[in-house]
Order: sequence, then C-alpha cells, then structure tokens
Amino acid sequence: MSNMMEIKDLQAKIGDKKILNGLNLTLEKGKVHAIMGPNGAGKSTLSKAIVGHYDIEVLGGEILYRGENIVDKEPEERALDGIFLSFQHPVEVAGVNNAYFLRTAVNAKRRHEGKDELNAAEFLREMKKQVETLGMKPDMISRSLNEGFSGGEKKRNEILQMQMLQPDMIVLDEIDSGLDIDALRAVSEGINSMKDGERSFLVITHYSRILDYIKPDYIHVLKDGKIVHTGGPELVAQLEEEGYESLGEA
Amino acid sequence: MKLSDLKQRTASEILAAFGRDGAAAKSAETLEKMGLPSKKTEAYRYGDIEAVLEMDLTIASEPKPAEILPSVQLIITDGVVTHAPASVKLGYSKAIPADQGHFDPLYHLGHVASPGVWEIEIQDEVYLHIIHRFTKPTSLIPYRLAVHVTPGSHAAVYEQFIDTGATGSLVLYGYDLFVGRDATLKMVKNQTLDSGSYQMVASHRCEVGSAATLDLATFDFGSASALQMMQIALGAHAHVEASHLLYASGSAKRGTVSKILHIGEGSTSNQQAKSILGEKARGIFDALIKVEHSARYTKAHQNSKAILLESGAYMASRPQLEIYIDELEASHGSTTGQLDGKQLFYLQSRGISAVEAKRMLIQAFANELIDAVDGEMIREILHRDFDEAFYGQTRVECIETCHGCEEVVLNEGV
Ligand SMILES: Nc1ncnc2c1ncn2[C@@H]1O[C@H](COP(=O)(O)OP(=O)(O)OP(=O)(O)O)[C@@H](O)[C@H]1O
Ligand SMILES: [Mg+2]
Repeated sequence: MSNMMEIKDLQAKIGDKKILNGLNLTLEKGKVHAIMGPNGAGKSTLSKAIVGHYDIEVLGGEILYRGENIVDKEPEERALDGIFLSFQHPVEVAGVNNAYFLRTAVNAKRRHEGKDELNAAEFLREMKKQVETLGMKPDMISRSLNEGFSGGEKKRNEILQMQMLQPDMIVLDEIDSGLDIDALRAVSEGINSMKDGERSFLVITHYSRILDYIKPDYIHVLKDGKIVHTGGPELVAQLEEEGYESLGEA
Repeated sequence: MKLSDLKQRTASEILAAFGRDGAAAKSAETLEKMGLPSKKTEAYRYGDIEAVLEMDLTIASEPKPAEILPSVQLIITDGVVTHAPASVKLGYSKAIPADQGHFDPLYHLGHVASPGVWEIEIQDEVYLHIIHRFTKPTSLIPYRLAVHVTPGSHAAVYEQFIDTGATGSLVLYGYDLFVGRDATLKMVKNQTLDSGSYQMVASHRCEVGSAATLDLATFDFGSASALQMMQIALGAHAHVEASHLLYASGSAKRGTVSKILHIGEGSTSNQQAKSILGEKARGIFDALIKVEHSARYTKAHQNSKAILLESGAYMASRPQLEIYIDELEASHGSTTGQLDGKQLFYLQSRGISAVEAKRMLIQAFANELIDAVDGEMIREILHRDFDEAFYGQTRVECIETCHGCEEVVLNEGV
C-alpha cells in the first residue's frame, strides 16, 4: 500500500460552526504534500482533526491511517502510532521541564514499540545533539516547556520534538510563520533530514519560501473546508501570482 | 477531658483544668473573654472545630524532662524537647508574654494548656531542623515554642512532623516567633497528615522587626483535617514572603487562616496559596491583610490558586484586604478551576497518556512553590513527600528534581 493517509469526505465542526465540508485528501508514503489556502479556510482545523483535538467534532467521513480509521482514537494513541502535529500555536506549560516532558513522550513511544526506555543521561545526550543541530539555546533543555519562548523558539522546539519522536506521518501547521532566515533554514534542514522515502509530510503554509527548501511533491488548495485543487510544485508560482480567487472548484 | 467542657468557664477554672498557676493568667482571661471557638467564630467558619472540641482526650503534657540529649536536630516528642543541637540556646519558661490581641482563641488556649514554653534563640548562620514527634494515642498534646532570631542574623528553620502512634490525638501546637531587627529567617514547614493519625490546630504569632524578613513556606499534604492559624505583625520596612502549598484528599478540611498586619511604614508582604484538592476535601485559605494608619508606603500582595480534581472537592478561598491609608500598593486575587485542557491536549498529542499528562500538570502546579525553597535536600524531600501523598508512592524522576546528570551531559565535550 502506498498511501499513508486517506481522508474521505471529512465533515467536522467546532462548536456549532461547520468548518470541514466533505474534505478529500490522499497522502502518499514518502511524499511531501503542501496545503495552501486563505485564512480561516479550515487548514488548522484539518490538522487538529488528524490528531484528535477535543475542539473538533467529526460529523462524518473517515481518516484512514495506514488503512485504519482513526476518527475514534484517543490523541495519545494516534501519537504513539506515529502521527505528529507541529502546532501553529504551541501552548506554554509552566513548571513542566522541557527535557522531562520530551523524555516522558519518547519513552512512552519506545514502550509502545516494545523498546527499552532511555535513561536520563542517554536521553539528554541525544536531545543535546538535536538542540545544537537546530541552533537552539542550550538552556531550552531545562526551561519550562515553551514558557516564555519566542515565536521562533517555539517552532524550533516543535521540530525538536519531531526529531526526537521520529513519527511517520508529520503534519506541520505554519512551521515557517515568524521564523527568521536562519531559523527557516535550520527548521527546513531538520524536516529534510527526516525524509526517508517512507515518512509522509503535510506542510501547511502561506509562503513559497519554505517550499523552496523542502520541495513538495504535491500542492493542495484548501478553501471553505474542502480541497479545491491539487497540482504539482508549479502551482505555487501560479498561486503567488494570481491568489486563491483564480482557482475554481477542482 | 473534652475541650468543650471549658465552655462558659472562668479564667481561674480554665487554669485549674490544666493545673496551671497564675503565670498564664492573662491568656486565660483573654480566652474567657473570647470564648472557645464555634462554627460561628470567623476564624473557624470553614473548619470543623466543634468535632475537634468534642474529642475525648487525656492530657499528655509532662513537665520538663530531666535530660536533653545532644543531637543534630531539635527533637520534640509529644511536646517535650528530648534532643537539641548545640547551635541553639534552649530555655524553658512557665509562660511568655503572649499577644493578647491574637485573633485565634486557640492561640490563647495553647498558652494556658501548655505546661510551659520552650524558648529557642537562633543566631547568625544557624540552620535548625526541628522534628516534632507524636507517640501518644487519644491525647491532648499542647505545647508552644518561643523562637527568637537575634538581630542582624540570617537563619533557617525546617520543621518536620512524624506520627508514631498518636492516633486520635489532638495537637495544639504553635510558636511565638520574633525575628529581630535586620534579621532574615527562612522557615519551611513540611507536614503530611493522613486520616487515622492525629489532628492538629497550630496557632502562630510572628513579630517581624524593622527591616527584617520572614520567608515562610508551608507544605501540607494528606487526608486528615488540620488548620494553621497565623498572625504576622510587620515593623517598619519589614517583609514577609508567605507561600502555602496544600494537597488535601479524602474528606480533609485543611488549610490556612492568617492575618498579616502592616504596622510599620514601608513594610511589604507577599502571600501565595496554591491548593490541590481531591475527592471530598475542602481547602481553606482565609487570609486577611490589614494595613494600619501607621503603615504608609506599604506593599501587600496576596493570591490564591486552587485546582479541584474531583467534583466533590471544594475550595474556601477568601483573600481580603483591609486598608486604612492611601499611599500603598496592593493586590489580591483568587482562582479556582480545573486543569488546563489545552495543556493536557498538548502533552497527549505527544503520546503521553491522559493520566500521566494530568500528573505532570499537577506536579508543575506544585513545583512552583517547592522549587522556590532554598536547599537541594529540602526540595528533594518536599518533592518526595508530595509524590507520596499524591500518588501513594515515590516516583521522583532524577531529571525533575536534580540537575546533576543534566549538568554532566550538558558539559560533556565542552
Ligand atoms: N475554537 C473555535 N471556536 C470557534 N470557531 C473556531 C475555533 N477554531 C477555529 N474556528 C473557526 O474555524 C474557521 C477555520 O479556522 P482554522 O484555524 O482551521 O483556519 P486556517 O485555515 O488554519 O486559517 P489561518 O490561515 O488563518 O491559520 C475559522 O473561521 C475560525 O474562526
Ligand atoms: Mg491555521
């Protein structure tokens, strides 16, 4: 099977507002899919539906992950099975040490996979390596999770979590927003280093710049809660020129 | 005896009930005037004082022991000092001048019922570890300390409480604390108390001298009821930093009733309560800050945060400010709620189970006050005791509490 995820006729609401209106999307194994679309179209809602956020009520349709419908699965089960979302707005968790948090997550995943847990020293050695590669300040290891982190630092911390957790289906919601030039390069390199021909990526963005680095295979346009157009990388230039209005229903 | 037997008694009858002579007469008179507390007494409105007064008890106090053994800690067994370190000056008085203006009737009762007062003088650089041990069942154990921190000195006190068989007893403990001019005292109280153990009403008075600082951190864990009452008076430019971490479970009624009195000019106070309440527990934070006419340019801040873990849990939070001047800076606030759903979800989205995620957030809430305590050792003990009370077992992870490995790893290859 060459599909990592198939989303079929997904209908979802937040509160009493319907946001996703029969969304169809197939994500292939080993490929990078980018989603672009206007503000408020439902991109973050889609990403949250994939990870099982409590705000979102799925009214119909299915999300097949490696052939299995995960709509009723708990968020932590989805994560343990290899789904990862880098949040558009990661929350701050005062009092929870970043390293302790991430080790708990990594070890939960290792247990789930029948592997031995990492002890503090083994884990910290690995974390320190990744922190350096991402150009993060070393004190972020022992600070509280995202507390007082700048916007860019939070995004790097999301990438750090991705690298430590080694997920299979990676959703990145505006990972490039608010990043300076160096950070954008570091984050893109982090993402590229995860490409192994197996993992799938869903990259939500408003800008072509990150796509220059991470070279998507497909571009999808999400509008009014649906995918309205799908094309190759050449679509980016067209969208930049003409905007979303030019695209009719696919 | 039952303490309720003392209702409507005269001062001399109260003294006689405890075999006391005239040394404690003033306190007995004040108690007669105030009367024993009832449900209607302000300070006891959230506790269960009537049940406490009905406990049938044997008076356990003994006169001063023949011999006090040398020890690293100051050990007080059933209200009697049995071991003392050489670093403190220890004395014993029949009575000390108590604060007749103290709001708590049981403060005055404590002064009457205690056979005497252990006087402790703490000098510069002293670190005093006090162990309170209780061994006698169904007893009334009244005792008091008077702690004097000499002017200009910097000292620390760590109080620990151990129950070895005091089931069904009532402990009426308390200290009169005098922090001398320009002195600093850091005081930590750590008490885990579960149902089936003793009950305690501790009633304190603190006088913080001019330009002195009292840093008081209290940690109360467990399923038994207990109250700590404190009246803290601040001299000119004196400062008190008070923090109270409470984890109560079962049907405990547990917490702090306090009055901070700003008397001197330029005095400052900062009081913070954090409460975690499970099952049917009731947390109490009934705290008044009173700024007198004389206390211009005062700063007073007070805050209470509570997390209710179950629907039967309840927080009685009443931070209050009573202010008689204009030139001051003051704030108070109180929040009671559940854990933050967004934070829980974030942890779960990384594969951490809902149960574990909750634990992490509760621990984070508690850690803020624990990690503010001076001394790695004490912090580790507090983390351990909180874990034991909360999870029923120790599950301290080295990475949370000690930064030892972290430092080693982070400095590798540097
Ligand atoms: N918690 C919520 N309550 C009510 N409405 C919400 C909530 N979250 C999202 N919405 C609404 O759902 C719609 C889709 O929001 P979503 O965040 O998915 O948009 P988006 O495509 O990610 O936009 P952007 O490009 O601005 O990030 C918006 O109209 C938004 O206001
Ligand atoms: Mg969005």
